[in-house]
Amino acid sequence: MTETVAPPQPKVVEPGQPQKGWAGQNVPRKEDKRLVQGEGVFFDDIKRHEMGYVHFVRSPYAHARIKSVDVSKALDVPGVYGTLTGDEVAILTDPFFELSVPPGAHMKDYALAVGKARFAGEPVAAVVASSRELARDASELVEVEYEPLEPLVDARVAQEGDAPILHDEAGSNVVWDGTFDWGDYDAAAAEADHVVKIKELHFDRFSSTPLECSGCLIEYNKGTGQWTMYCNHQMPGVGAIWMAPALRVGLDKLRFVTQDIGGAFGNKICLHPYFVACCLLARKLNRAVQWTEWRTDQHTANAHGNERWFQDIEVPVKADGTMLGFKVRATDDCGAFPRYEPLGCIIWAQVTPGCYRWRNIRVDFTQVTTNKSPVSPNRGYSRMQHLWLTERIIDIVASELGLDPVEVRKRNYVKHDEFPYETPNGCIYDSGDYARCLDIALELIDYPSIEQKRRDAESRGRLLGVGIGSTLDSGTNNFGQSMILNPDLQFSGNNEVATVKLDIFGEIVVTLGTVPQGQGHETTASQVVADILGCSPDDINVRPGHDSYWNSHAGFSGTYASQFAVTGLGAVKGAADMLAGEMKKLASVVLGCSADDIELAEGQARMKANPEAALPFMALGAILNANNAGLPEDLGVTLNCRYVYRPPFEKPDLERKYGNLTLTYATQIHAAVVEVDPDTGVYEIVDYAAVDDCGKRIHPQIVEGQVHGATAQALGAATHETFPYDADGNLLTPNFYDYHVPHALDMPPMKNGFIESESPFTPLGAKGMGEGGGAGIHAICAALQDALRARGKPVVTDSCNPYHRVWALLQEPEASRAGVEVVSR
Amino acid sequence: MEAGTAEVVRSKTVSVTVNGTTYEREVDARRLLIHFLRDDLDLTGSHVGCDTGNCGACSVILDGTLIKSCMMLAVQADGATIETVEGLAEGEELTELQKSFSAHHALQCGYCTPGMLMSATALLRSNAHPTEAEIRKAIQGNICRCTGYVNIVEAIKSVGETS
Amino acid sequence: MLLREVEYARPASVRDAVRLLSEHDGARALAGGQTLINVMKSRAASPDVLVDLQDLAELKAIDLAADGTLTVGSMVTYTELVESVEARARPILGDVCATIADVQVRNRGTIGGNVCSNDPTNHLPPLMVALGATMTIVGTDGERDVPAEDFFIGVYMTAAGAGELVTKIVIPAGKGDGFAAVTIGKDGTCIVSAAASLDGGAPRIAIGCVDAVPVRVEVSSTAADAVREAVRAANLDPPGDVHASSGYRRHLAEVLAARAVEQAEQRRN
Repeated sequence: MTETVAPPQPKVVEPGQPQKGWAGQNVPRKEDKRLVQGEGVFFDDIKRHEMGYVHFVRSPYAHARIKSVDVSKALDVPGVYGTLTGDEVAILTDPFFELSVPPGAHMKDYALAVGKARFAGEPVAAVVASSRELARDASELVEVEYEPLEPLVDARVAQEGDAPILHDEAGSNVVWDGTFDWGDYDAAAAEADHVVKIKELHFDRFSSTPLECSGCLIEYNKGTGQWTMYCNHQMPGVGAIWMAPALRVGLDKLRFVTQDIGGAFGNKICLHPYFVACCLLARKLNRAVQWTEWRTDQHTANAHGNERWFQDIEVPVKADGTMLGFKVRATDDCGAFPRYEPLGCIIWAQVTPGCYRWRNIRVDFTQVTTNKSPVSPNRGYSRMQHLWLTERIIDIVASELGLDPVEVRKRNYVKHDEFPYETPNGCIYDSGDYARCLDIALELIDYPSIEQKRRDAESRGRLLGVGIGSTLDSGTNNFGQSMILNPDLQFSGNNEVATVKLDIFGEIVVTLGTVPQGQGHETTASQVVADILGCSPDDINVRPGHDSYWNSHAGFSGTYASQFAVTGLGAVKGAADMLAGEMKKLASVVLGCSADDIELAEGQARMKANPEAALPFMALGAILNANNAGLPEDLGVTLNCRYVYRPPFEKPDLERKYGNLTLTYATQIHAAVVEVDPDTGVYEIVDYAAVDDCGKRIHPQIVEGQVHGATAQALGAATHETFPYDADGNLLTPNFYDYHVPHALDMPPMKNGFIESESPFTPLGAKGMGEGGGAGIHAICAALQDALRARGKPVVTDSCNPYHRVWALLQEPEASRAGVEVVSR
Repeated sequence: MEAGTAEVVRSKTVSVTVNGTTYEREVDARRLLIHFLRDDLDLTGSHVGCDTGNCGACSVILDGTLIKSCMMLAVQADGATIETVEGLAEGEELTELQKSFSAHHALQCGYCTPGMLMSATALLRSNAHPTEAEIRKAIQGNICRCTGYVNIVEAIKSVGETS
Repeated sequence: MLLREVEYARPASVRDAVRLLSEHDGARALAGGQTLINVMKSRAASPDVLVDLQDLAELKAIDLAADGTLTVGSMVTYTELVESVEARARPILGDVCATIADVQVRNRGTIGGNVCSNDPTNHLPPLMVALGATMTIVGTDGERDVPAEDFFIGVYMTAAGAGELVTKIVIPAGKGDGFAAVTIGKDGTCIVSAAASLDGGAPRIAIGCVDAVPVRVEVSSTAADAVREAVRAANLDPPGDVHASSGYRRHLAEVLAARAVEQAEQRRN
């Protein structure tokens, strides 16, 4: 979007300002009543007569040639219904389509390993049996002969001449690479008074690990050739695009059904290999089959967040602390198969300069495969990694040049009066006030008292540190950004669907194309519809979950990428507006007036001038649906309205890699105070503030809940949650025993603040905000670096800092310092 | 069977009373109590979130004691009285705790909620007015990935304060 | 979650339990199951027969003798120890048990199970060594007492052999005890733990997670420097893993031993 019509300045709503209507209120969640009684329906709750349980045989090797697979002993076990092998998959399906240009385009990804296993835990065969236990027993009888190959676990050496190659067809471990060059980095470096150089930073692998693992119950209808998948796939639109061509069927042969999903956070987007294997089994055995992923399976073989290395970072800085941009070489580790990748190679560009007015940025970006779990778009996808870089840059530069971390942020932040702000790569930051959010965060942690608290801590033998994390949560993707990676892709824009109908007894029924996993879509959708139709959210029946057969979905339907408040509710609003118009029209015909004379209020369509002349919704529904003889031929009223919301996007300029990649930018500014025990490296988060600005809050309580949850996930990722591999490619934290996620005692007391800078670009002034940009990771890294400053000024170079890493920084501060250099004019 | 000597069995008929209903089922010795509840009795309110006994989604109250039903065999529960999330509400009337969870937005996806409610129920039975520290300690064995525990703690505290 | 086939028996007496354990190869006692069942879920171990001890009331008693000696039945749960009035005679016991895992695990996990599984990250093996506890082991040949120092013989291995059962743990009187650990998250799995007791002369220190069994460290003084020096002199060679390098564990052993001794001194006075 190179030509932008300047929109009006956004409206800023002060906390405590009264709201009109249902939107903006904390109405009780519709989802809760069933969930607090254990009456939710999650995929694993569904059973079918004589269904078979699927258990996958998984590779114990990170990299191995598969010489043979023998299922005969498993098939001999009474109660075993059948098996599936890679050889069958290679015959019955085509490889999943790849998004990348070559070399990534040539990588072949199937439902089961074909010819080679490329990560420990990769499914090699599947067994179906009459009980879960029996399926596992029989899977142990499948004999697989492997020829182990050297594994590749370090992305940094993936391109070296002697590195093992994962995908022989591609001839390289590179999925995608390219240079992004905006502004004039060289001129900025020449103009700078200092250039701060940072050798290497590392963003760890982790995953938000939804408490419910993945799975499905799949039925095959032999007569129609259709599969019904009761599942927890969070992005069925795209899932079907992967699955249907692989299965060599049309899209409509795949019906995705979800009701309740136990969290997803991006980890339930790349389930298509498992689902295709189950589809093949359901068809082969003519039996419903059920697959439940267990926790260790999920950690080893579902999906991780992207791991990323940032090397040779250079930051030109003026004497007054103004930063002019940066350059960096980024290497992204996507694990064994690209799947949703290489989209992560462009998604970060939605927030290219972070919160800052940096105009000159050069990024050499390479994504490679390694013999580790594939990745998927984990909450904060790709932007979080990049935003962590921008915040590390700020704090390392501030530390090296002796600048105040608050002042240097405020000096470099995009200013309140500069919105809508166009970034060097053409993204339009819609609204915000970063400095004000920072002030609120600092007030919440009583920033002026920090030096006193630091001395108090010292007297107790503790090192106190304070850190800030400034992030953006960019929402509502312009899928046109994929064309920057691969011009042949036919994806751009975005869309979402909702239908709203008035049924025969006056029921208002809403269906969504989205796939909620706890975000309260039933509730917020009902608020929006109630405001438009003049009734209560209690009068609105929002169908829970997703069903492809409702026809309420579009190509980009799903719940991902911080967009429901924009796309989902935009569709709901559109459909409800259509229905309202039709209801008024019908009422005007019945009441003999103009549609403009009708208003919808208190569950009735009535004449504004004469509220006594009213038709209850039930009458409207009954007349049109069941008693319609005599209505005008050209009435044009269906009372069943489907609306597709399409955000205003242009295709990007592919040559310059330039354009508006997302519609909204929510802000999160967090501040953390930590205390480190210098004798052990153990630390505690003693104070924490999270300030959020996501524009109009439809349901403030839900927004706050998202902030709490995103913060907890970030704090987990900052402190303990990481997926390291040993040299053989074995995951060292394969379940919750070693992969420690925060529990109630681990979480610090959390203070929350907010402002509302409404988006000028969205139907309701709302912004997507669910992902949260990982502000907690950035804040903890900064706080640890601040706390350790007195002990040789070590530099925090990793996103995850368990105690042993902090202890290592205390022991050898110079080791981390060796990677930092300041060149001054 | 000789008096005073127990026999060794591969499967066994067990009798358990869950939420006031007594069930008798033949079950393999190897079957975990959580699978027995979910798959054999179709009481799917209790959930599975891990395979190492860490997450607490399967928490139930067995003979008055809060336990994780994934770390017990179904045969061990023979003769036991079990309470699960499905038994909390009296008909349509939710408990104060259930209402408080909803009022405080203490659940998002709702997957940890059944176990969390059982832990909080057990806490409030032994300690009607718990402090925040006691609440956090009491739900430490229940992982929630959505809420950061903030509103869960508030919801439990609120019941303690108003009871 | 899906265990291998297993056989199950639920004896009503210790005598019958011992019979079952000795008559069946591959039989294992099932106490609280908070470790064993998890190991079976991963199929890392698959006993052929599980002998469920839950009905053995004789293993559930806590007795406090006039001289302060505490006798704890092996099937006493952590929660029962935390709540027991008798067990307050040796306060460190309840204090440490209150930090093991979580409520649900404490409600079922037992002191006997903790010491018999002898996972190097368990809290109680080093504590039992420091307190000078004695385990009573019953087999078909009768009963014998084994001091904690000799009880732990390897990772997941103890002096209680095949066909045998630990019935009780005897803990002498005392109060000058300390325990310090660095754990994964609050009250989590131990990365390194150290227990100390000053009752009965020179400090008894035992360090966990640095070897297959708790490591006893001899020291004559309670001064922090002396304790740290003694730990250094023990030339520990702990394993490294994802949570700690060998060097970090060695360092923590020093710091935590000194802290455990410091806490023991405070409690003694």
